[in-house]
Amino acid sequence: MNSMKSPHIASPALDRRRFLRGAGVTLALPWLEGMRALFAKETTEPPQRMLLISNNLGVLPWHFFPKGAGPDYVASPYLELLAPFRKDFTVFSGLSHPNVTGGHSTENCFLTAAMDPTGSGFRNTISLDQFAVERLGQQTRFPSLNLGVNIDKANRSLSWTRDGVLLPAEDKPSALFRRMFVQGTPAEVEGQLRRLRERGSVLDTIASDMKGFQKQLGSGDRSRLDQYLTSVRELEDRLHTAGEWEQKPKPSTTETEPEDITDPARFFDKFSLMLEMARLAFESDSTRIVTLMVDGFATPAFQISENEKSLNDYHNLSHHGQSKEKIAQLERVDRRQMEVLHTHLERLSARSEGGSRLLDRTMVLYGSNLGDANVHNTDNLPILLAGGGFRHGQHLAYDGIRNVPLCNLFVSMLQRMNLETDSFGSGRTTLTGLEAG
Amino acid sequence: MMIPNAMRQTDWRQRHSSFLCLRELFARFHLLAPRCAIALFFGATFSTAEEQAIVAFLDRHCMECHDEQTSEGDLNLLDLAFAPDDAANRARWVRVHDRISAGEMPPPEKAEGLTKEDRAKLVHLLGGELHVADRAEIEAKGRGPLRRLTRVEYENRLRDLLAMPHLDIRDKLPEDRDSHGFTKVSRLLDLSRVQLEAWLNAAEAALLAATAVSDEPVPPTSWRFTGTDLFPGLDTFGERQAMFFAKEDRMVPIDGNRFKEMTPEERRDPELEMALFRSATWPYYGYPRGFRAPHDGAYRVRFSGRAVRQLSEFRLVPATESVAMSFRARQPSGPDVSGDVRETGGWMDLGAEPKVFETTIRLKKGETFEYSPLGLPVPFIRTDGGFFYSFPPMPPDGHPGIAIQWLEVAGPVVEGEWPPASHRVLYDDLPLTKSGVTSGNPAVDVPRLLRRFVERAAVAPVPEEVIAGYEARIHEQLAAGSTFAEAMRHGYGAFLSSGHFVFLTEPKRDSHAIAARLSHFLTGTAPDETLRRLADEGRVMEPDTLRSEVSRLIAEEHFDRFVVDFTDQWLNLRRLRRDQSDDRLYPEYRRDDYLVGSMEKETRAFFTAMVKENLPVTTLVDSDFTYVNDRLVRHYGLPPVEGSTMRRVALPEASPYGGIMTQASVLKITSNGTTTSPVVRGVWTMEKILGSPPPPPPKSIPAIEPDIRGATTVRELLAKHTEVKSCAACHAHFDPVGFALENFDIMGAWRDDYRGMEKGEKVTGIDRAGHPYTYYISQPVDPSGELLDGSKFGNVRDLKAILMNDPRLLARNLVHHLALYATGTPVRFADRPEVEAILDRTGDQGYRVRDLIEELAVSEIFTGVPPEQ
Repeated sequence: MNSMKSPHIASPALDRRRFLRGAGVTLALPWLEGMRALFAKETTEPPQRMLLISNNLGVLPWHFFPKGAGPDYVASPYLELLAPFRKDFTVFSGLSHPNVTGGHSTENCFLTAAMDPTGSGFRNTISLDQFAVERLGQQTRFPSLNLGVNIDKANRSLSWTRDGVLLPAEDKPSALFRRMFVQGTPAEVEGQLRRLRERGSVLDTIASDMKGFQKQLGSGDRSRLDQYLTSVRELEDRLHTAGEWEQKPKPSTTETEPEDITDPARFFDKFSLMLEMARLAFESDSTRIVTLMVDGFATPAFQISENEKSLNDYHNLSHHGQSKEKIAQLERVDRRQMEVLHTHLERLSARSEGGSRLLDRTMVLYGSNLGDANVHNTDNLPILLAGGGFRHGQHLAYDGIRNVPLCNLFVSMLQRMNLETDSFGSGRTTLTGLEAG
Repeated sequence: MMIPNAMRQTDWRQRHSSFLCLRELFARFHLLAPRCAIALFFGATFSTAEEQAIVAFLDRHCMECHDEQTSEGDLNLLDLAFAPDDAANRARWVRVHDRISAGEMPPPEKAEGLTKEDRAKLVHLLGGELHVADRAEIEAKGRGPLRRLTRVEYENRLRDLLAMPHLDIRDKLPEDRDSHGFTKVSRLLDLSRVQLEAWLNAAEAALLAATAVSDEPVPPTSWRFTGTDLFPGLDTFGERQAMFFAKEDRMVPIDGNRFKEMTPEERRDPELEMALFRSATWPYYGYPRGFRAPHDGAYRVRFSGRAVRQLSEFRLVPATESVAMSFRARQPSGPDVSGDVRETGGWMDLGAEPKVFETTIRLKKGETFEYSPLGLPVPFIRTDGGFFYSFPPMPPDGHPGIAIQWLEVAGPVVEGEWPPASHRVLYDDLPLTKSGVTSGNPAVDVPRLLRRFVERAAVAPVPEEVIAGYEARIHEQLAAGSTFAEAMRHGYGAFLSSGHFVFLTEPKRDSHAIAARLSHFLTGTAPDETLRRLADEGRVMEPDTLRSEVSRLIAEEHFDRFVVDFTDQWLNLRRLRRDQSDDRLYPEYRRDDYLVGSMEKETRAFFTAMVKENLPVTTLVDSDFTYVNDRLVRHYGLPPVEGSTMRRVALPEASPYGGIMTQASVLKITSNGTTTSPVVRGVWTMEKILGSPPPPPPKSIPAIEPDIRGATTVRELLAKHTEVKSCAACHAHFDPVGFALENFDIMGAWRDDYRGMEKGEKVTGIDRAGHPYTYYISQPVDPSGELLDGSKFGNVRDLKAILMNDPRLLARNLVHHLALYATGTPVRFADRPEVEAILDRTGDQGYRVRDLIEELAVSEIFTGVPPEQ
């Protein structure tokens, strides 16, 4: 099968069969059939991706934040666990979302920065991933994927529409697998196509109407009308692309889909498996944008390691109230999390794509909406960004009292996705000190 | 001074195109001529020796600072052509004109020997040329570009068209860009694929919501909650004091074990009251047990409640003051908030005696509603020695709170007949079956319904061939297998995203465009029937008709939209909740949503009165009355009033309040929650109240960061602004005004001293959330200052007295803001005489606000029709 090779991911180290360690499931690496044709239309610009992870209970801050700023910082105990990738990530301190307060309710604002989630009149706003999707359009089969671990799907998500509607997270790897690799029924495809055709018809109607409308206007108004007609054309193009995707066969696989882990106590297994699904999605270019909410809040007592189960549910544990026993256990939880992250970075750096490591084309954001879950502090959030081709290997330390908006980092990331924007949420500029490599 | 005759005789509009800058000109004519363009221009126009002297003077004095070496204020006159046909060039010359006209340039020390008359002559001549050029552009291109609807207007239009006053689609649309708070600016209301797609989606959602899917409404359900059913749990965050059940004014301790033993009847014991002492914000989940709205819609809520005080040992006694409460629609997602949170049902005042309240709340499917007592404490998490939510210590009079005896809900309420009005807008009286609307004869029904719809939706007649296009599409959809309702919505949805719907055109003598501009101005929507008829008859252009329509629309229900939207934009009121107060320095304001909500209502009520009662424009600066409720009188230090309703009260003689300028809302908007800045407040007052906003600050200078330790006052930090001449050139305009406002804290309460974090007299206590706090009284406030014209003031009252002396200035500025809001285009240079004419017509009566609106509406700025025609 010579069509197995993607133009962007071409590594001899890349087996066709990959063992999903967390789940014990074997998959075929799913190259998109006919993807070449689609890529052929694109410019030579290599794809940029982002994986946005938040654990809604955060980490113990004093073990996370390093000492000293700049490239010569002294790694914290947690960052020690990522030591082999020191040059591949930047750790931040002094970042937060201004006026996003209200304890756990801020978890739904991690990627939106919508203010005051518990206040009357609150409505969430568009999340970072959806903002990028709106502007990038459908470059891949899925404009984005929204994943969750142990997530309370009805109430929590990292991904929100412009009008504050929750986009539910997918928490079943098997369902994700099917969406990525298993063909829909002809009727399903036809249903989708019909919707696209209807929208196309609407666009035709308003475009021809507008041409008549134009006649009654002066020259000064032409540019507005041009904008209108350009918008119509762009939307038509997008419908066309969406239609192509609908009809394009999905990548085939010879293997069975992964088995879902239903026991929420196997928290880390689930977390690892979801990261593998994200990697798979990137490798198959099914999408370039993935969000992942690790819902500690909804996680009952869980296995920290084979031999240790948490004393309480994760949320209760996070409110350690200075109990030595709980703090010690939380530290082990956090460390395990860092190990999972480490494994993920390892895998992303082992793949190469057009001569670069997949990691260098994938921004991996790891963070939390809580700076200190014990007291519901929403300042000084723990934030780490790996990969994506930035000049990493430093601790960017901002003022701990007057924090810098986390959205400035988001603006930097959007620009890295080749989006021309200088604002997002509360961010009005890129983050000072973070440069593309 | 030698000016070639050929040039002098040629109109500048022909010649300016032949030279772009003086440098080129010199090169071409080998001239040893005036170096400055002003001088050149006047040199070309003036002929007498006296006038030539002015030119020589200007040449000498302007070039000293504005040549290529110094280029003060980024102005290099050597490189600036006089080419007023070009809009950007004209804008620069307008700045030059304005600064000369205001006497700011040349600066006094350079202007010795320049008489008033000479200056006036200069201004007159330059102004004349700029006017002619600007006029010519208006004639050629129109006064402003085509404007699309804002998101607020789009929602209003759909609400009115579909007869769905609570339709909620605004947030499906991207936020409009703004300029100084204004989102109605045509130039910024651009279009993109994101915008167009959002319109398509919003229209689709609205049309679907407008359609009845069945031949009968969802039957309403009723619920009644008593006893422990009044609350979803047995306690809430913030210790036992935060919430408990009570009987005969004593707590009935009910814990999990006790609850298990209780019979269903005991649990619903109607003698039990639910007593609540905290406010609804996280962590909280105070809603009736097990209730979830089965459908979107309105629900009728009745309940019996009273205000109480909690004394020690969990005893209840009647309240001495009423407690206001509301409800909040939200997901029943535990203490965590998910989805939106909306206040609903209005404010109700619970008194000492139990009383039955009745209100309507709006819920989405799956939502519930929580009790939201306004202004009560918010327990806060503490982890010193464990983990708990503390409740503030007992005040001497006890904790204020509410007690609920029972509560009933019924809904969704069917408002009006079935199918609803929205459905009939789309399908008239076509038969409605269990599976939706049907048509026996689409060939007749499609054209009839479509034409009826388009006529209501558009602000002007739509050509028949355009309608035919939509009609053809609907038939196509029917042929492709869509249901009748789907096919109709397809056509409707397309029209609601079409140019006919989303664009507002410049009037240019078009009566429908004038009518649309007027209705979008004063009611935020399309013309109503009366106005549409006047447009159809072509009578809208008659000044008397326009005036009477203004009065009529101001009295209409939807005038409220103008008040909200205009104050949102002009005063930036929509940013009122942008900054939360700093709990370290201002613990008394912690999460006081009631205060913020009250100040918002004050400003809206006040501005409504200014228009409806036609009050003089000076009311912006000062008034002997304002609007308050129980919370605001405490904030302003006024005699107590009862209840949450806003009402008009007289202000004491020496009150620093009165007028919009010193309202709490404005003072909050102009602070950052931690500190106040005289610069920000001064600039804001110039821009919003007085006019002539200063130019933006130089790029390289960082903003002043007030010292929150308390060691240095902001006045000391700003001393540079008067010491350094280049700073003073602008700051002397607005800093002094800001200093006078320093007596108001971050929320607009009066203060004599600043607070800081480190220095001064220590103040400690426990705030209303139960949190310990410490801050310091640092330095006294010095509100005195001196305006640019030399008038001195000791405090804000003196300043107001000075500002009241120039009502024409205030009126001119308000007209500018109104004109921008009404037309989408800022007042242009060529509009200025028209603005002065408006002021002339209203001055005798003291520039009353409704008069200003009326005269603006009949002016050429608004109608595009010169008044003499």
